[in-house]
Amino acid sequence: MSVIDPQGRKASAIRKIPDLGQFARISLAVCLPLASTLGLWYLVIFVSGMPAFVIPRPERVLEALIKDWDLIYSNLLETLKVAGLGFVIANVLGIGLAVLFLASPFWRQAIMPAAIALRNMPYVALVTVLMLAFGDTIGSKVTIVVLAGFFPVLVNAHKGLQVADEVVLDRMRILNANWWQTFMRVRLPYALPYIVAAQEITGTTSIVVAIAAEWMISSSGLGFVINKAMQTHRGDLVFAVAFVSALLSFGVYALVHAIGQRLDWRAVKE
Amino acid sequence: MALPISIRGVSRRFGQLTAIEDANLEIADGEFVAFIGPSGCGKTTLLRMVADLERVTTGEIWLGGLSPSQARKDRLLGLVSQRPAVLPWKSAIEDIRFTQSITRKAGYDAQRLLNDFGLSGHERKVPRQLSGGMLQRVNIASAIAHKPEILLMDEPFSALDEMKREELGLWFARELVKLPKTVLFVTHHIDEAVMLADRIVVFSPTPGRITREIKVDAPRPRGPDFRRSTVFVDTASQARELLAVGQ
Repeated sequence: MSVIDPQGRKASAIRKIPDLGQFARISLAVCLPLASTLGLWYLVIFVSGMPAFVIPRPERVLEALIKDWDLIYSNLLETLKVAGLGFVIANVLGIGLAVLFLASPFWRQAIMPAAIALRNMPYVALVTVLMLAFGDTIGSKVTIVVLAGFFPVLVNAHKGLQVADEVVLDRMRILNANWWQTFMRVRLPYALPYIVAAQEITGTTSIVVAIAAEWMISSSGLGFVINKAMQTHRGDLVFAVAFVSALLSFGVYALVHAIGQRLDWRAVKE
Repeated sequence: MALPISIRGVSRRFGQLTAIEDANLEIADGEFVAFIGPSGCGKTTLLRMVADLERVTTGEIWLGGLSPSQARKDRLLGLVSQRPAVLPWKSAIEDIRFTQSITRKAGYDAQRLLNDFGLSGHERKVPRQLSGGMLQRVNIASAIAHKPEILLMDEPFSALDEMKREELGLWFARELVKLPKTVLFVTHHIDEAVMLADRIVVFSPTPGRITREIKVDAPRPRGPDFRRSTVFVDTASQARELLAVGQ
């Protein structure tokens, strides 16, 4: 049975109006940022008066993206390899050290000052040393990504492993749980939200740092493409690579965030 | 089954501070003993020493011929803390089974325990979906899931409001008869101690000492009518006087 409103329209017809509204809202949510970005882009070109090789028009960037896609794609794979390897090693190192610190506070005293010093060393100096030591190899680029990424993982994982509720830890002691049981079944689940938060930083940082390392020392990867494009005054190609890397970083962030949501016990459905 | 507890000349010092001094107490198997006293009188410290969560500075504690450490390793102890020691990501039934999987003891049937504890229909709820009273019931169910012989309870109902506290106390008194255990029960609440315990041990502060023991001369479990009995009124008054003198 359909409901008739005072004007005589069917309720089912009325319900379609919010659907249209929802469609309009989604369209606006997509179109508005796109339109405002493009608007701002054209405005900067118009106001600054910069030449096209410094700030190309959006359509030129799109053209470069299509025309040079093979070049971008092959170097994108190279960048992904460096960033991916660096990300994995940074996690193994960061989480591994955090577990070591938990098991034996002595190691925290011994290693943490060195980790902090390494973290605060200018990357340019590190890159120079690695370049002199190993040359343009995947090892030196991955090392830079690891050095940039492991610290947030270490700090967050270490903090997360300390936050387990004291009464729960007392419960584990009274039940005579061993170290491994307490770690796997209490400390690690409590630490997961912290570790996931670190992944969101390290995941995107890995890509940015990999590109920066390639820009400085490499003959492959997106950083190298940017470098070459600069030398040939191809601003359109620089912007196309920047667009791809931004999209990639966003994709990595979204993926890590989605995995994190599934692992986070605080997100248990009501 | 239950184990007796023997506390002989036990003291605990933290640097210059003496938390508890020369405590002596014999508790029979299956007896329910309540510790009452003002804050800082060492009752929780003594309970934690029985639980092997705190070191004894001098003296000795025996649980049916076993040291607290051995009793803990044999999984003969259950602990109910003031704040529920439940895992926030586990449902009520999973939390009870968690105790059993860690201790590798079958213990009580988890579903039956939840039914007996009035939590039927709430098995799949995680802690944040349960009320304070329900959560404390899950906490107690998880603490006894592996059938410990001694139950150590540190102000288990103190976080609840007065009505809920009384209701849960009465419920616990009824349930405990079905699950006979030696119980050490720390509380600030005199009426609660009189309602539940066979014996009340009164503590005084700085340094913490056991000053007196009061026997509650009435069979357990006790219903709401017990509150109006002469035994209840006299015992509660006696405890109040002793606490006032101790301070």
